[in-house]
Amino acid sequence: MKKHLREMRPVYVVGIGLHRYQRLSETPYVTLGLTAVREALADAALEWRSVQSAHTGTALIGMAASRPMLRHLGATGIPMAQVENASASGSTAFRQACIDVASGMTDVSITVGVDKPGPVAMAPGKTRMRDLVGSRVVPFTHFALLTQEYMTRYGVSAEQIAQVAVKNNRNGANNPYAQRQKAVTLEEVMAGPAISGSLTRLQCCPVGEGAAAVIVASDDAIAELGIDRNRAVRVIASVTKTEQVYRDAKNFDAELTRETVEQAYREAGIAPADLDLMELHDAFTIEELLYVEAMGLCDPGKAAGAIAAGDFDIGGRCAVSASGGLLAMGHPIGPTGAGQIAEITRQLRGEAGVRQQPNAKTGLAHMVGVGAVCVVHILQRSA
Amino acid sequence: MPNRKAVHPELYAPDSAGIPFLNGGKCRACGYVFFPPQRYGCESCGAPPEKLEAAELRGCGRLHSHATVHLHQGKDIEAPFTVGLIVLDDGPAIRSLLTNRRDEGLTIGDRMNSVLVAAGADQDGNEMVELRFARAEARK
Repeated sequence: MKKHLREMRPVYVVGIGLHRYQRLSETPYVTLGLTAVREALADAALEWRSVQSAHTGTALIGMAASRPMLRHLGATGIPMAQVENASASGSTAFRQACIDVASGMTDVSITVGVDKPGPVAMAPGKTRMRDLVGSRVVPFTHFALLTQEYMTRYGVSAEQIAQVAVKNNRNGANNPYAQRQKAVTLEEVMAGPAISGSLTRLQCCPVGEGAAAVIVASDDAIAELGIDRNRAVRVIASVTKTEQVYRDAKNFDAELTRETVEQAYREAGIAPADLDLMELHDAFTIEELLYVEAMGLCDPGKAAGAIAAGDFDIGGRCAVSASGGLLAMGHPIGPTGAGQIAEITRQLRGEAGVRQQPNAKTGLAHMVGVGAVCVVHILQRSA
Repeated sequence: MPNRKAVHPELYAPDSAGIPFLNGGKCRACGYVFFPPQRYGCESCGAPPEKLEAAELRGCGRLHSHATVHLHQGKDIEAPFTVGLIVLDDGPAIRSLLTNRRDEGLTIGDRMNSVLVAAGADQDGNEMVELRFARAEARK
């Protein structure tokens, strides 16, 4: 009999930690990852020996990343493996940790997202299915095409779309873990340099290095290990889907998100209006508009107006990318999805300081990745 | 004797009278038409390779979106150049370079046709041609 997450043992996020996202440096990935893990252990007030499985979200640093990093916490012999799912690697690793606890196979599991930019072999390039454009179309042009189509369809201007970068950089300016920590004006965003179509540099996310760690635990572990239940945040949905052939839809990105989020709402038993905040895959400004519409936060074509009205600001009806999102916090690939969970947990605990979304009770994390894949989690304050 | 060669010989022929065709594929089990061609299995219904056949797709369609690329790291082409997303009359939505370097004057919904453009010569002196799309002369 098929079960979804909420029908299994309850799973709680009990510890979060990060290494700041930053430009490529000499810092070894081991240091990045251990910084995040030690911060998460301290946050949960747990010892490493309490952790019973580890899932490392990583896409760029190469084979066998986990144990050469995690052995320095004391080699306890626990199961460890890497999870690669393109941009959604960290989100998928988090889902695996949740499944471990929900199934009863572990009481405490950890997700570590860690990456450093470097040359990477992309399997889709090895399928021997060459199209007309090949490497002449990279992600920023894929999204520039979606931008132009959206602007024409709804009569929205390039400046209205660029406002996403203004909002998310404003949030990132208050996030000590963000790669970009500087508020920018609309004029600065529009002033370029131009990248593709109407997308300028500040409308494209920075891909740097960093790490994020998230510890999940069962009710049993919370009781036995003396974890603070008031700071535990429950994971009420975990859904991942991959792209299908949508014969009538031309925007496959939006369609994949729509059906994945719809299933997550159903499993969590919530409606879009119940969301107080979300972290979404805003690698490019246009994505925020496409996805908030696909998620039912506003009608098609209405996202630019909602952004201008402050609906998605911190303090608005649903704060979108309070962390700064991929645009400002950054997109180091492996860590990104785990970092979203860290931000939502911090917000739902009421510990986000100047970035705090007031009275946040329910939050959603959304990542997409090349393939295409989509991973969605919904978290809820338990106290 | 130098010949004319296609940059992507699996995707189109180097010589054509009129509007060049694209080499696509079709599933005999479900009718799904796709591009680029492949012989692995049908993405729509899962039919095995023996159910897939080659299908010539007419190089005609409508412009669904366009973007001028300002930054390009590859050495094969210099920016700016313009990419179009074209929904072919035969079904598939494909991405192709357009003949214009910049996208001024293009409108989403424009009728587009494929065209072979000169793309230099290879080591043996063969004239290379590349398939791109251009706006059809008369707007409809």
